[in-house]
Amino acid sequence: MKKLSMVLLVLLIAGTMFAQGTKENASAYNIYLITMDQMDQHWVNVDKGAQKAAEELGNVNYKWLAPDVKDDAKQIESINNAVAGGADAILLAANGPNAVTAALKEAADAGVTIVYVDSAANFPAVQTLATDNTAAGTTAANVMIAALKENGVTSGKIGIISVNSATASTVAREAGFRKAFEGTSFNILETQYCNGDAAVSKDMSANFITQGVVGLFGANEGSTVGVGNAIAEAGTGVIGVGFDKSDMILSLIKNGYILATMAQNPDVMGYEGVKTAYRALNGEVISPEYVDTGVSVLTKANL
Amino acid sequence: MVLFIEKPFKRLMRIRGIGQVLTVTAGLVVLSIIFGIMNPIFFSSRNVANLLRQIAPILLIGIGQSYVLITGNIDLSIGSVVGMSTMISATLMTKGINPWVSVLITIIACLGVGLSNGLLVSFAKLPPFIATLGTMTIARGIAQIANNNYNTDSIGEAAQGLRDFFYYGKTFGLYNTIWIALVLWAIFNFILTRTKTGRHIYAIGSNAEAARLSGVNLVSTTTKAYLVSAFVSCVVGLITTATSGMGTMDAGNSYELYAVAASVIGGVSTLGGQGMLFGTIIGASIWGVLQNGLQFAGAPVAIRNIVIGIIVVISVLLDVIVRSGRGARKKRIESTT
Repeated sequence: MKKLSMVLLVLLIAGTMFAQGTKENASAYNIYLITMDQMDQHWVNVDKGAQKAAEELGNVNYKWLAPDVKDDAKQIESINNAVAGGADAILLAANGPNAVTAALKEAADAGVTIVYVDSAANFPAVQTLATDNTAAGTTAANVMIAALKENGVTSGKIGIISVNSATASTVAREAGFRKAFEGTSFNILETQYCNGDAAVSKDMSANFITQGVVGLFGANEGSTVGVGNAIAEAGTGVIGVGFDKSDMILSLIKNGYILATMAQNPDVMGYEGVKTAYRALNGEVISPEYVDTGVSVLTKANL
Repeated sequence: MVLFIEKPFKRLMRIRGIGQVLTVTAGLVVLSIIFGIMNPIFFSSRNVANLLRQIAPILLIGIGQSYVLITGNIDLSIGSVVGMSTMISATLMTKGINPWVSVLITIIACLGVGLSNGLLVSFAKLPPFIATLGTMTIARGIAQIANNNYNTDSIGEAAQGLRDFFYYGKTFGLYNTIWIALVLWAIFNFILTRTKTGRHIYAIGSNAEAARLSGVNLVSTTTKAYLVSAFVSCVVGLITTATSGMGTMDAGNSYELYAVAASVIGGVSTLGGQGMLFGTIIGASIWGVLQNGLQFAGAPVAIRNIVIGIIVVISVLLDVIVRSGRGARKKRIESTT
């Protein structure tokens, strides 16, 4: 009898502890970050920012879900998994504007709060926190124009290396870059798409230099590394301006082959994104709808 | 006198598939002249040097794919092995391992993929399309996991020697990349045309069963072809690392198809048993000239893709027409005798 009551007591204690445990989890918000893939350093930094916000807020169960490669179907799967996993809010970097909208509608119907980080989809969300890529492209162009002017160059050919013609962010950068050159006597050549492969980007940049360009713009990390390596090899006075921040790009800037790179602030997207989601879950009205997290222009001088 | 010239010419014309090689060589010349007229920079010494260096990697993977195609198989893992090679070598170098030791480890790892391909196809008798599709995905996964799902940092100053050896340096006025491609081409061409292994490779591509009955070891011959393919892909990966000074996980994407294109344009039959590596040089050159020339012509990338696709289809069509023509002639001869 004594033994039995002991067992019952233990069970009771364990039971209450377990109940308390689940109660704690239940009161916390489940916030998921879904990015385009897990590879890019960029997404790692979004994750870092989001983690920091989750730690500061305390009662948030935060999780990073991402397909292994950029793929619409796989991103849809991640969204479905997050909903099935009891997500209260999803921070999404949408692969494309339209592919994931049906999955998002299902999520929203299940009561999930949606916040966009980096890239939005065509579906209403609480807030979008992203780099205004068009504005950033224009900033890159202005940095280039100013540097060319300083060298006494006011006309000539300009080359652009980008990823492909479908990725919204790099297409917007290119558009912003081209816009800034309107009305100048510079001539921007046909954009070369190299899928972000640094070696292919280098070859195409070398071809541009052979054509006599005075400036080269790389629209993402791989493109920028290609531009920098081509300028380093040619040793001419071509002005290279790039996008994104990586160890390799920074070393190209230090060596003077790339003049400047536009560094996004992915950690801000993740950090502010989680806070926005948290406030929305607490019933606050969120404004504004769109937050430009901006770019920092990194040069040799401010590294 | 006429006979004197005619004899070697006839002998040349007897080589199977020579017709297509001569046609595409003429095509290459015409294409180059057109691009040269459109933009004189095309023939500038700087562009010719760059262009040859841009052709070199395509030629290398083309050699590998040609070997495999001639055995009557296909290697879809080429692009992923390029990516795996660049990621493994760059990761090791960023970890401070001696560049040449890194190269050695990378070559061994890539040959492992070639060995698996060969054994899966010839020993386990998997369809080559499926077997190499599997290793393609696995090799890309290894490329991704090599540096924990990130592109690597800069391989640094310590690797400058390696960067010069594979890409930036010049020997006798030509970029080293071109020399590497030429030397490997000469070696693999010798093996294919002058050794028993080469004859066996053609034999199993023409008729595997007949070759087996006459004593050709299918497993070792097929595996050798896949090892060549993995080796040249590995070298292209090392060239990629040297070019970029870092490792990108997406490197080599769809190179296996570029390699098929270079081989097929150059007259290598996808049905096996036919083709020569000289044709692969022409196929790779046409590919490179189109990429380079169309950029100078200011053509959008989409147009370039369409043009290359059309040329691949036309080359295969040419092969099919020539074959059926020869078949018809043979029948005619048979019916008259």
